[in-house]
Amino acid sequence: MERAEVVELLATYGDRTPDQVRERIDSLELAWLLHQVEQRHAVALDLDDDSLMRMTTVDGAVAVLSEVLSRA
Amino acid sequence: MAAWVDEVLLAGGDNDGCLNFGGQLSRGDLRREVAQRQSALEDLGIKPGGTVALRLPPSLAYVANLLAAWRIGAQVSLLDHRLTDHEVGQALERLKPQAVVRFEGKLPGGLRAFYDVTDIPSAHPGESAATDHCVVQLSSGSTGPSKVIARTADSLIEEIERYKLIEGVPLPGERVVLLASVVHVLGLVGGLLYCLNAGTELTLPTRLTVDAILQAVAGGEAPATLLGVPFHIELLASTERPPRLPQLKRMTTGGELVRAQVYERFTDRYGVPLGNMYGMTEVGVIATDLFGQHRPSLRPAPGLTVRSDDGELLIGMPRSPYIGLVDPGRWADGWLRTKDAGTVDPGTGLLTVHGRLDSQVSVGGLKVDLTEVEHALAALPGVEAAVVVFDNGIEAYAVASAGVDELEAALGERLAPYKRPRAIHLVEQLPRTATGKLVRAQSVLRSSK
Repeated sequence: MERAEVVELLATYGDRTPDQVRERIDSLELAWLLHQVEQRHAVALDLDDDSLMRMTTVDGAVAVLSEVLSRA
Repeated sequence: MAAWVDEVLLAGGDNDGCLNFGGQLSRGDLRREVAQRQSALEDLGIKPGGTVALRLPPSLAYVANLLAAWRIGAQVSLLDHRLTDHEVGQALERLKPQAVVRFEGKLPGGLRAFYDVTDIPSAHPGESAATDHCVVQLSSGSTGPSKVIARTADSLIEEIERYKLIEGVPLPGERVVLLASVVHVLGLVGGLLYCLNAGTELTLPTRLTVDAILQAVAGGEAPATLLGVPFHIELLASTERPPRLPQLKRMTTGGELVRAQVYERFTDRYGVPLGNMYGMTEVGVIATDLFGQHRPSLRPAPGLTVRSDDGELLIGMPRSPYIGLVDPGRWADGWLRTKDAGTVDPGTGLLTVHGRLDSQVSVGGLKVDLTEVEHALAALPGVEAAVVVFDNGIEAYAVASAGVDELEAALGERLAPYKRPRAIHLVEQLPRTATGKLVRAQSVLRSSK
């Protein structure tokens, strides 16, 4: 999964532009991101605590989502 | 011993269900959990009029310790589990509890709505309660120390009774699926205490993801009300094709209104009313619109008097909800100043909230005073000046010799995660007006980068 897509999906929360999306992802944005990825890719992401803990930055989220989606 | 806990919260048959935190718990189970914590606190010497601080995440341990301390007749301070050690240290110095209940180990991450924790009560060098309040909470302070907000058992019972008089609240035998924190007023009184009193089951989803929330609704037969904050409406409304949920009866949130298109998307996709409530830690629920009939206005809750004074909403309150604070700007002559701009329609009695008059913002339903964040940042070594604003999140602008990573690490030790800026921008100088006042307009700050 590309970084640009993660940023684009995060930007849909609160109607932001991609440049308003920050590197750090808080818990609300994480819940938002997971759901948008699930809908767009038609997958159910049942991530464990460790994976979710790694998703506190955009880089971390890209890494985890790339791993998970390549397995799906 | 305080009889109100048994009468108002813990009454009912042994086998009646009451809580569902990853598994159903009966009233008998809860009474046993409470009794066990009560003897642990009594062993530490906690007596009627004693003081206990809880630093526990949403959990059965939190509920059981809270009710146990109240049952003894002690005053309980609630400390959000996300506060840093530094913030907790300051709070304990201020509140001087005789016992502190903490959790063992580190909490797992991952959007949990509740945790399975082992609670560890310990004695703390403190003092007996100076007042008859049963619960004490600290606000995010605007200047200097934060305010100590306190409620009596009577105030909590009155709030439960207020809820019961409002049409559209969850009924006995129904369920509440709680998405808001059970440590803060909406989840604590509107969720936990109301449910225990009314005989409504309180369910916490396993995680705060859409799937887990909808599973929690689908996981029982009884009608369910979702209780959360505006973010949860946005999240659930972003589901294009939600499953059919015949059990879902209503969603109610506290806090600011969501945009009209989000409101319409939610009610269209889920086919249930979306209700709104207005309240504050000092009072609890103040006004509601549970059927979305008066949007953006709300009907004051039965028994409360609300008026507008020079554009600010005031609530009739016979005594000040603050301990050790005499500030006529907050409470005077039986009126609490909400710091919310608002109007009351003389014809209908409906009130409309127009926003904050001070620097408080809401981050996922948690109140944060931007001045507290600004002071914490400005006080760090290597920071000359700082301005903190809210622009789709907390943003900081600083003149500093220290680097951003260094500042973020230092703030991480002093402020709970939800209070920290999403970004710190280093600038050559902060824009000022002709009279030397710091400019807080985002457009000007952005161009100073």
